[in-house]
Amino acid sequence: MMATHPLPAKVRPFEAKRRVTEPSGQTIEDARYWAQQMAAVAAGRDVDCFMRIYDHYGPRLLRYLLGLRVVPAQAEELVQEAMLRLWRGAGQFDPARASLSTWLFRIARNLYLDRVRAEPHWREVQDGLEWLDRCEADGEDNSTEAFADHVRLTNAIDRLPAVQARLVRMSYLESKSHSEIAQELGMPLGSVKSNLRRAFAKLQAGLRPAP
Amino acid sequence: MNSYHHLDSSTLIGYSAGSLPEAFRAVVSAHLSICAHCRTQLLDADRVGGQLMSQQEGVPLPAAARDSLLKRLAQSPVSSPAHREAPPRVHDPDRLPEPLWPYFGRSYSGLRWRTIGPGVHHIRSQVRDGNLMLLRIAPGRSVPMHSHGGNELTMILQGAYDDSLGHFAPGDVADLDCDIEHQPATSPGVPCVCVAATDLPLRFSGWLARALQPLFKM
Ligand SMILES: [Zn+2]
Repeated sequence: MMATHPLPAKVRPFEAKRRVTEPSGQTIEDARYWAQQMAAVAAGRDVDCFMRIYDHYGPRLLRYLLGLRVVPAQAEELVQEAMLRLWRGAGQFDPARASLSTWLFRIARNLYLDRVRAEPHWREVQDGLEWLDRCEADGEDNSTEAFADHVRLTNAIDRLPAVQARLVRMSYLESKSHSEIAQELGMPLGSVKSNLRRAFAKLQAGLRPAP
Repeated sequence: MNSYHHLDSSTLIGYSAGSLPEAFRAVVSAHLSICAHCRTQLLDADRVGGQLMSQQEGVPLPAAARDSLLKRLAQSPVSSPAHREAPPRVHDPDRLPEPLWPYFGRSYSGLRWRTIGPGVHHIRSQVRDGNLMLLRIAPGRSVPMHSHGGNELTMILQGAYDDSLGHFAPGDVADLDCDIEHQPATSPGVPCVCVAATDLPLRFSGWLARALQPLFKM
């Protein structure tokens, strides 16, 4: 399907420097742009496209891992490892199933659990990213829709009520368990869970708008 | 296998974020290995994670890292683009769900149960955080009424039980909130075997329960 979206003649430098709290400016073109870079890596082992991905996502992966309290030297090593996995496994990337950011997030999260938390049992189900993908009935999913989902999700995250946004970020970006969050915020455990539940419902509604 | 009781979305967020205690992760993995519905939900949770990760402003990487990555790239073999096949799922009634193998071994017949009360057996596993155990409760029994100070996640492996929340059969998970008080009663016929994760001790109510509490120590 990449053939229908040829690489732009002039690849524009990608400079999206935003904070999570700012309104998002992510467009469908941005998501498509990254899928095109990945297609070039997969098809032609294109080092320039690969390094473009590294220059954009590497620093974000590093911040993500540092947020999980991984020591800097190890976090930098894990970024390299994540990027090498992307290089080696580029042929398995399918933009209709998951965006590049989802793919990289899974790789980095699995490396974190495996190497940092040393939970080797995690590998049993999680290491095969494609195994998890097998579940999807993605018959009607075309890539344009997947890109649009990506943008809708960004907007849905930006529109979450403050408490819910905070709980979601504490879960994902600080890797805090429900009990830790409850303790830290002085919030009953039941409210932490119900707020996360409500947040997830809103985010899913963002992914799958009513027909 | 059709499951009617699935994982709570807050649990899936924890799993996706890598923030669940290990005991819970084991039970979630066991359920995911048989439930396509929850795997689809998990993909959505992972999308949220990917979005949050990429929305952040990056932290600059050292310049030397770029060169060393380029060097490693040249030496790095490329894996074949063909999708790796998942291991064949042979139906073997003696086989535990694969994600539980590292904790309890592969087969039900190899389990070494410990009696902890009349008709109640268990096996605890060593995990980094939380409590992870297998429970086997004789058919036609009821577990004392209890609630949970923390989280409890149970997956039914064999047999079945009923409580106020419904009927729980193999594959189902009971993903319980801390406020729920319940009194599961096992179905007649075969013992009910389940794998359970908790992060705090259970709290039993009633005199029988208080008598059993020291036995359960869960
Ligand atoms: Zn399920």
